[in-house]
Amino acid sequence: MNLTVARITARALLGRRRFLLLVPLPILVIGLTILAKAVAPDSADQWGLAIINGLGIHVLLPIVALIVGTAVLGAEIDDGTIVHILAKPLHRREIILAKLAVAVAVTVVVSAVPMFIAGAVAVSPRYGLGLVVGCVIGSLAYCSFFVLLSLLTRRPVLLGLLYVLLWESLLTNLLSSTRVLSVAHYSIAVAESVGGSPHLLTTRVSVPLALVMTGVFTLVGTLLAIDRLRSFTLTGETS
Amino acid sequence: MSEVTGSYAAPAGAGATAGVIHDIGYQRYTGRRLSRRYSALSMYTHSVRTAYGLGRSGKAKIFPFIVVGIVFAVAVIAVVLRSQFGRVFINYLQLADGVTAPLLLFVAVIAPELVSRDLRAHTLPLYFSRPISRSDYAFAKYAAAATAMWLLLACPMLLMYIGGLFSQNGGFAGAWRETTEFLQGLGYAAIFGLIYAAISVLIASLASRRAVAAGAIVGVFLVTAPVVGVLTSFGGDTLQKVAPLLNPVTLVQGLQVWLFGGNGPDIGSFGPLYGAVGVALIGVCLMLLLARYRRVS
Repeated sequence: MNLTVARITARALLGRRRFLLLVPLPILVIGLTILAKAVAPDSADQWGLAIINGLGIHVLLPIVALIVGTAVLGAEIDDGTIVHILAKPLHRREIILAKLAVAVAVTVVVSAVPMFIAGAVAVSPRYGLGLVVGCVIGSLAYCSFFVLLSLLTRRPVLLGLLYVLLWESLLTNLLSSTRVLSVAHYSIAVAESVGGSPHLLTTRVSVPLALVMTGVFTLVGTLLAIDRLRSFTLTGETS
Repeated sequence: MSEVTGSYAAPAGAGATAGVIHDIGYQRYTGRRLSRRYSALSMYTHSVRTAYGLGRSGKAKIFPFIVVGIVFAVAVIAVVLRSQFGRVFINYLQLADGVTAPLLLFVAVIAPELVSRDLRAHTLPLYFSRPISRSDYAFAKYAAAATAMWLLLACPMLLMYIGGLFSQNGGFAGAWRETTEFLQGLGYAAIFGLIYAAISVLIASLASRRAVAAGAIVGVFLVTAPVVGVLTSFGGDTLQKVAPLLNPVTLVQGLQVWLFGGNGPDIGSFGPLYGAVGVALIGVCLMLLLARYRRVS
């Protein structure tokens, strides 16, 4: 973990126009929560489920993680400035860990704040805290996965979208056993156990399994990313 | 010495008229000059081919043809089920609804392919220095994306139609009913193409990086979907029937319910509103697209 690399990454991430993509989503979640609370305060379990599950866990968290996770390293690979970092006498591990830490931190801040507000308004402050923990779990797994993707392919955003859209949204609804390999369900499992009753979301993934799988996602993603960056070759633009 | 110099030096008076440098055969173009429409049409056909990766490298064909394979696979399953069990499991409208996710990915990939690459590679000045105008370019690209989407649905529907004609046993009346349903399916595919392409090409024209454009396109569809869910979860009767307007996917399904009476969101008596919003959406997207190409270079 190198603080200079982390600082440069954070500045590049927050200083780009692309970062503006992250603003509408949290505002949408908070705005809808306030609107729903004002219009129908009694049916909180219905709109709470729709906001937290449909919009928060399945869209906000993965999309924010995708934008941030592929930007921390992918943007530098794309515009070629990765050369400057690779040429410094730094261990590749430090580069990856710094980038990953920034990605996770930004993702957690952007996703956990609206989720806490949604959870606190819809159910209880404790439930909101549960969602925050769930967001941390999800951010860890998603970010390491997407950082790895940006090293493995030239089109990390496309592949990440395929994972989010086809695997998490479509397949986990059709074939319930694929939930074991779905990051969204790890977040749900952990959030539900921390948030306590009343339960809003349900998942078949147990908490220990969710924690172990998050660890596996994070660890394997990070190690593979370090390995890929170690033997990284610079290539031109894809045709 | 002075003799030699004199023979090489040009005479002061004759040089201007008699001096021929070299004739290397430059000629004016005397062939037929094709119209502006012709170049716009070429741009359109070229773009439709680009969408499917035809005339491009093998790598560019992989993704479009995976999607083509998925849609055809569903159509083949529909034909086989129908011929084996004698009743319709998947009709034309349900085919389009069933493959919405692959269709969405398809348009999210081809729209940046058609539009963003030109921005990235700075080829627009080359196009615009030809007789083709900026609006021609925008319309050609939009029409190409919509056509590619339509073909993606229309060809498997044609397969289902042929299979349906042979497996129906209602005689001429049955064949006629099959034909009207097929035409409805083609119309629905056109609605799909027109609306999805309008949104996608507009977004793609704003981003020069293809990955960003693809992400933004999917993002628009992905983010608006749960908003519809949230609004219907707490809204009253009217809001529940109007909320699907906010998401292109449910908007298209609502149009289907209104025009063809298929399965989809409950739109009540708001059908004409769905029609108006659909037309307005296409109109606004095209106007913004034209405005974008009026300025970009």
